Amino acid sequence: MFSRFGAFLRSSIGKKSLMAVTGLLLILFLIAHVVGNLTLYADSDGAKFNAYAAQLEALGPVKLLAELGLVLLFGVHIALGMRAILENREARPSRYKDLAPKGNRTFASMTMSITGLVVLVFLVIHIIDFRMADFSEQGLAALVVERLSSPVGGAIYFVSMAFLGVHLWHAFQSAIQTLGFRHPSYAPAILVIGRVLAVAIAVLFASFPVLLLATGGQWPWN
Amino acid sequence: MSGGHDNHGGLNLTLHVWRQKNREAEGHFETYSLHGISEHCSFLEMLDQLNEQLLREGREPVAFDHDCREGICGSCSLVINGQAHGPDRETATCQLHMRRFHDGETIYIEPFRAKAFPIVRDLVCDRSAFDRIIARGGFVSVNTGSPQDANAIPIPKENADLAMDAAACIGCGACVAACPNAAAMLFVGAKISHLSLLPQGQPERRRRVLAMVEQMDKEGFGNCGNIYECEAACPKGISVENIARLNKEYLGASLTARPEKESAGGF
Ligand code: HEM
Ligand code: SF4
Ligand code: FES
Repeated sequence: MFSRFGAFLRSSIGKKSLMAVTGLLLILFLIAHVVGNLTLYADSDGAKFNAYAAQLEALGPVKLLAELGLVLLFGVHIALGMRAILENREARPSRYKDLAPKGNRTFASMTMSITGLVVLVFLVIHIIDFRMADFSEQGLAALVVERLSSPVGGAIYFVSMAFLGVHLWHAFQSAIQTLGFRHPSYAPAILVIGRVLAVAIAVLFASFPVLLLATGGQWPWN
Repeated sequence: MSGGHDNHGGLNLTLHVWRQKNREAEGHFETYSLHGISEHCSFLEMLDQLNEQLLREGREPVAFDHDCREGICGSCSLVINGQAHGPDRETATCQLHMRRFHDGETIYIEPFRAKAFPIVRDLVCDRSAFDRIIARGGFVSVNTGSPQDANAIPIPKENADLAMDAAACIGCGACVAACPNAAAMLFVGAKISHLSLLPQGQPERRRRVLAMVEQMDKEGFGNCGNIYECEAACPKGISVENIARLNKEYLGASLTARPEKESAGGF
């Protein structure tokens, strides 16, 4: 039983299935995360957002457990993604002069490794920015405003969300396909749902640095 | 030559052809000029004319694979201007016509490239990796004897159609050649679908998919990224629905297969 499971995990399809499951769960996390961020729009001084952050903090060990779960999801997805990138390069040692499109590729599907790696770099920056920071005095909302309204900080967050959006543009339907489901009646809807999700997640996340950059650190309705 | 049919004197072409002495040698592009190629001839007939020209000049002709020249054997290959089997959809290289090219055009001609398809010489690659995958389960085992009545086994029309579509795969390897990751999932997906949709494929269904995927990975093909270029390059229009079916069959078999040959009382 375990050797069978081991063989599954080592197989190309097994690895891709795990990437798909972790990727889909990460999309759920992103949805929860961006909805949480929207509390920044609920008032003009960030009190709601800070209260939301405090509620999460108050969960104590449950929050720690959730964070460990996230680390695991990201870790598995990233490790398998890196491995796939290396294996795929190895699978074609002699390069074409130029592998021209036959008609089905998209910009997003051809750049999954690049967009994934940029998101990885962003993750490190993001964790240092907010998870490692001590915001007990100023409050989390003020820290967000501080980080995102500097031109460099705002640009990093904006550009990273663009890359994330491109990653997700291909990701959702790809994961459904990897998990073995494709039916002519549903495939078009799955494609559209994934792309709407991708744009919604990226635009909502990116709206914060865009507004803060545009207003020089003031919420527009202040 | 039938250039006389045309108003003009046929196509003048510049070809950059991949030349490689053997598996170990370093390959490179060589440039040739061809004149007066009829637009009615096929791409392979154009290469035949190149080879006649090379022979006349006392040079080595270009090696390339072909057999039926009617799109059914899967022997022909070639990546033409970066596209497996050239620019047309659902068309094998042997069915590609020179009317798709214009006078004065420069054409790059390369072999299918993948670690699992080593180049043997010039434009010929070794696709026996596919044979080894088939040998691991791309068949059904039957007892010989007198044939039973054709209608004795009921098969839903829908399944018969899907299996027939999958069975159209000619094993050419263009799916691998066109895949940015050199994955073989469309080929294996077609073979798995063809047999798993039919009653005759059921007894070996789980064993088959586990063994064929194991062999596919062993051969060094890449991982599928669902880019779907394979489907666009396939001369038989095999759908990526077959890849989803392969994934489903493999997942199902991995989760439910019992250890093989475990005798009672054994550990
Ligand atoms: C919040 C972040 C992320 C989400 C929601 C996400 C989601 C997904 C999903 C759903 C897929 C499709 C999986 C499949 O078809 O089997 C995928 C593919 C991929 N992801 Fe991510 N991902 C994220 C971050 C990353 C990171 C940080 C990397 C860094 C290496 C990465 C690398 C990749 C690669 C390389 C693929 C393509 C794998 C292949 O085609 O073989 N992803 N991602
Ligand atoms: S799936 Fe299509 S491209 Fe791939 S081997 Fe079969 S016929 Fe050729
Ligand atoms: S030569 Fe037989 S398919 Fe092209």
